[in-house]
Amino acid sequence: MTGNPNGPVLSIRNVRRSFGTHAALDGVSLDVEQGEVVAVIGPSGSGKSTLVRCVHQLEPIDSGAMYLDGELLGYEHHAGRLRPLPARRVADQRRRMGMVFQQFQLFGHWTVLRNITEAQVRVHGRSREQARERAMELLGKVGLAEKADAHPGQLSGGQQQRVAIARALATRPRIMLLDEPTSALDPELVDEVLTVIRDLAAAGMTMIIVTHEIAFAREVADRYVFMDRGRVVEQGPVAGVLGDGTSDRLRAFLSRYTQQLSDSGEARTSV
Amino acid sequence: MTATTTAAAPDVDVATARPRPRPLRWLGGAVLAVVAAQIAWFLTHNDRLEWPVVAEYLFDANVLAGLATSIGLTVAAMVAGSALGVLLATGQLAAFAPVRWACTLYVGVFRGIPPLVQLLFWFNLAYLLPRLSIGIPFGPTFESWSTNDVVTPLTAALVGLTLHESAYMAEIVRAGILSVAAGQRDAAMAMGFTGGQAFVRVVLPQAMRVIIPPTGSQFISLLKGTSLVSVIAMTDLLHAVQSVYNQTYQIVPLLIVACFWYLVVVTALSFGQQRLERRFGRGQRSATGRWPA
Ligand SMILES: Nc1ncnc2c1ncn2[C@@H]1O[C@H](COP(=O)(O)OP(=O)(O)O)[C@@H](O)[C@H]1O
Ligand SMILES: [Mg+2]
Repeated sequence: MTGNPNGPVLSIRNVRRSFGTHAALDGVSLDVEQGEVVAVIGPSGSGKSTLVRCVHQLEPIDSGAMYLDGELLGYEHHAGRLRPLPARRVADQRRRMGMVFQQFQLFGHWTVLRNITEAQVRVHGRSREQARERAMELLGKVGLAEKADAHPGQLSGGQQQRVAIARALATRPRIMLLDEPTSALDPELVDEVLTVIRDLAAAGMTMIIVTHEIAFAREVADRYVFMDRGRVVEQGPVAGVLGDGTSDRLRAFLSRYTQQLSDSGEARTSV
Repeated sequence: MTATTTAAAPDVDVATARPRPRPLRWLGGAVLAVVAAQIAWFLTHNDRLEWPVVAEYLFDANVLAGLATSIGLTVAAMVAGSALGVLLATGQLAAFAPVRWACTLYVGVFRGIPPLVQLLFWFNLAYLLPRLSIGIPFGPTFESWSTNDVVTPLTAALVGLTLHESAYMAEIVRAGILSVAAGQRDAAMAMGFTGGQAFVRVVLPQAMRVIIPPTGSQFISLLKGTSLVSVIAMTDLLHAVQSVYNQTYQIVPLLIVACFWYLVVVTALSFGQQRLERRFGRGQRSATGRWPA
């Protein structure tokens, strides 16, 4: 099951994914070590969402391979060849990863509490009591214990995203994948979500965060990965962002980005 | 028209405004009142309506039995049709193309054939297939029955109405499923739910908001559709009143009896539908549906 305990939590090897003739991922490789926070940045359409969706097996990959704790994702060896895993096993692999979506995707017909307990009960086989305890602990962590019985529609965007993070954490994932977790939020609600993510990073959670919050990425991430046109154009320790070694493309991206933000009067993301 | 400016009226408060005259509304109201009065006059002063006869047969045992048959048929065909409809809807959205084609073809065929034609067809199935059997296709048979024994008016009615209904329900459920954003399914799968769990626990309950209103209408048209089964000698509500007026020739009052019961059931169904809509609309803000003035 588990490979080398000192190996990376997540290993992505030369993954390709095309939509028609368009290569959304054009040979991406990336290792994420235990406790590491990787910020993925890049222009819109560069394949960032496709990458996290492929890792979570919400999107099939055309070639390459991905490993979670050394275990091949989505496929098994059988009679000397690879074949896709049955749906149950894929579901098992998925719940070892937590996913946070740009549009929150809380389940509107359930209360906040049920959003967090249901997968624990149905998928993990925990009792309602255990699940509830864990949910309340997580809601406390994201500062929303008093909203347990509210419906998602009654919460602000920032609160919904915090609940979504608590929900993703409920099954104790090995790694969290966050796809632009603050992009759908009003500016004044961004910080409450970033605070929660900052706490997670401080607690040692392994994470991939797709984000346009460059300042935040510099602060919490250990490493940045810059994607463009389906490729990892460059990566390095965040301290190096905009340092000497950065490519023209990244430099252009960052300057365009900070330009845009200062044009719209945002001080938050000044680099 | 004069513009009201700040300078001209320093202490304006719109709460003191009076409604504008609306002559078209008054005219409309007057027309409605006249029509209503005419209808009331017609209903009370036309002897051919024979209200005493209506009263006599309203709770007649045969009529009530017919009503029970109609309701039973409706409920049975609705339940079976909805279950089949959900399967067909998921089939139409399946990843496996042959399943998709088969379900789409089914819906196209059974939605396209008038229910009356279908009823007659199923009732006459014995002509096409004299015997019905269970066995291995093109292989040995295990059990076999004469079609005429199996296809009674009841089974023909049930099969015909169910197949017809399932095709409509498939379209309604499909629209409901598509109304729930794909992101909800992704989020459910991401949490480790299987595709089936994601569908049953997350997508379908949220699709209900879109599914229920047209389903209520389907229920109502199905109830009315059961009146067709009288052509294959099934003793539904319509057949019951027909049996009476074929002997007494009191056609109009007996048709009124049938109308009365159809309306009673439809009204009850409408109330039920409203309550369901409220239940599944929780957490959603809803417009009143009235057009702004
Ligand atoms: N389901 C899809 N069907 C077709 N094209 C897609 C689909 N998802 C993504 N793409 C394309 O793949 C490319 C990468 O998209 P995405 O991963 O969403 O980029 P990003 O998240 O970096 O903005 C884009 O060109 C996009 O149009
Ligand atoms: Mg994206």
